[in-house]
Amino acid sequence: MQTILVVDDELGAIEVVATALEDEGYRVLSAANGRHGLERLAEGQVDLAVIDFMMPLVDGTSMGRAMKADPAFKNIPIIMMSAVGESVVRERFDGYAAFLRKPFRISALIDTVRRVLA
Amino acid sequence: MTKRDDSVPSLARLPTGVRGLDDILHGGFLEGGVYILQGSPGAGKTVLANEICFRHAAAGGRAAYVTLLAEMHTRLLQHLRPMAFFDESVIPESLYYVSAFHTLEGDGLKGLIDVLRREIKGQRADLLVVDGLVAAQESAPSDREFKKFINELQAHASASGCTVLLLTSGLLRHVSAEHTMVDGVFELEDQLFEFRNERSLIVRKFRGSGFLRGRHSFRITDEGVTFFPRVEAVFASASQSDTLSDAKVSTGVPGLDKMLLGGLPAATTTGLVGPSGIGKTTLGLHFLSNSSPAEPGLMFGFFEPPARLCLKARHLDLGMTAAVQRGDVEILWQPQRENVLDELAHRLIGAVRRRQVKRLFIDGLGGFLESATSPQRMSRFFSCLTNELRALGATTIFTMEVAEITGPVTRVPSSGVSALLENLVFMRFVERDSSLSRLLSVHKVRDSGHDPSLREFYITDRGLHVGEAFAGVEGLTTGVAREPASAAAAPPPVTPDV
Repeated sequence: MQTILVVDDELGAIEVVATALEDEGYRVLSAANGRHGLERLAEGQVDLAVIDFMMPLVDGTSMGRAMKADPAFKNIPIIMMSAVGESVVRERFDGYAAFLRKPFRISALIDTVRRVLA
Repeated sequence: MTKRDDSVPSLARLPTGVRGLDDILHGGFLEGGVYILQGSPGAGKTVLANEICFRHAAAGGRAAYVTLLAEMHTRLLQHLRPMAFFDESVIPESLYYVSAFHTLEGDGLKGLIDVLRREIKGQRADLLVVDGLVAAQESAPSDREFKKFINELQAHASASGCTVLLLTSGLLRHVSAEHTMVDGVFELEDQLFEFRNERSLIVRKFRGSGFLRGRHSFRITDEGVTFFPRVEAVFASASQSDTLSDAKVSTGVPGLDKMLLGGLPAATTTGLVGPSGIGKTTLGLHFLSNSSPAEPGLMFGFFEPPARLCLKARHLDLGMTAAVQRGDVEILWQPQRENVLDELAHRLIGAVRRRQVKRLFIDGLGGFLESATSPQRMSRFFSCLTNELRALGATTIFTMEVAEITGPVTRVPSSGVSALLENLVFMRFVERDSSLSRLLSVHKVRDSGHDPSLREFYITDRGLHVGEAFAGVEGLTTGVAREPASAAAAPPPVTPDV
């Protein structure tokens, strides 16, 4: 079973994404900010990180950069998600495999996850 | 628009940038202050707070918007996107959205204050919004702990110079700890008046600053939020001193000018009272047709759109269209919809100021009366409005429609307003010889004599003309002219109650 880490500061967003991924047979870990997300990564094998862009304490781009700088995590693919456009995100961090603009359909999330994990 | 009646300490301000709000707050929030913005769901708190953030960012500031148990950011931004102030380019560099609800759930108020402190520092924010204060209050183990949270937040805000807005759906029915501690409390309402709603703001408290007191209306449109400071507060005293003058302003009708011994006294307010169809607007078109670059004119009307007015003027051989094209006259039409009384007044005053209008024709008083949600304020409202128009040097004519087409007119419509009018002119229909004639009379003129005779007037394709005094009949003010021989059996003439 593949494990996906979902990092988002909004409780509702985590619930929706986690439930949808669990329904597809993935194991899901969650975190409310980048700092917590990096701690969860260290807990075990994660195959994919789905990370929100704007979060308190440590934001999505900082978490992404930290992952790419750490040999233990640098190969974990990242899907960035945000309510703002991709160009804004890419200016700050471009080390992600895919981008999802909020709000998105569950089907778009599942398609993107499958594509990145393929 | 700004008029201050209290001395204001010279503390640095954080302007809201929201139209009208900085006038109410005498320049904006005080930097480093903590303010509560409260109101029931749908009152407009979130839109207002977001507009303040976007305008702050547009002005070079930095803001952080922290939600607790509130609308999700994705939906929030979707709702804001159509608004004129929305500018995605300021996100996230100058405006940052985060949720701290997880932190509140996991680490309580201590964790929350840590997140807020870090966001202020990390984003270098000089404006922080916390949306959903009620969630923090509910998670506090005691009132004392919540007070400590507010106190700590105040300390961080003050030390960092970051202004904090706390949004809550709680109302100030019971004064609670946070209300006594914070620097200001601003209450938004969306009140129902029979079939229509009107939004308003009341500043309950604004420590260290003067502000305009009372209830101020506001609208939310695609342009954002616009406040209309209450006329009685903002124009409590006129913005400039009244210039006394003996000058007269022609009405554009020579016969009426003669009755007024030269015209209307400059910078005074005239009530033109009469039934529908008598010729009030026609007289106003004469008045405006005499506008010039030295005496710009403004038609502020509720009933007839500009094209129809120009056509009407053309049928009367009055050069309104040319005057409009030259820029000597502006026509501002207020469609009959759910207007906000103070919005109308600010639009009117703004238009008078913009072109330094000297000839103002308002058609008519009823448009203002119908917009009022509180009729009891009308007398004071008109007093402040007409004082300001007078101070701006505008010679103003208001039309005032009476319901009776014929018959005696014993009172002007809207009690309390007539006393504010310096000049009063009546127009009425009179039955004579089985036909209707038009009658014109001047009832009062400020500091001036006038011809008190009852004159017949005519409207032809050459405009409005005042004729001679009615001769050989009496009882005209009852609406039915009589031969003098029957006078003994007739009721006495009725004098208008002004």
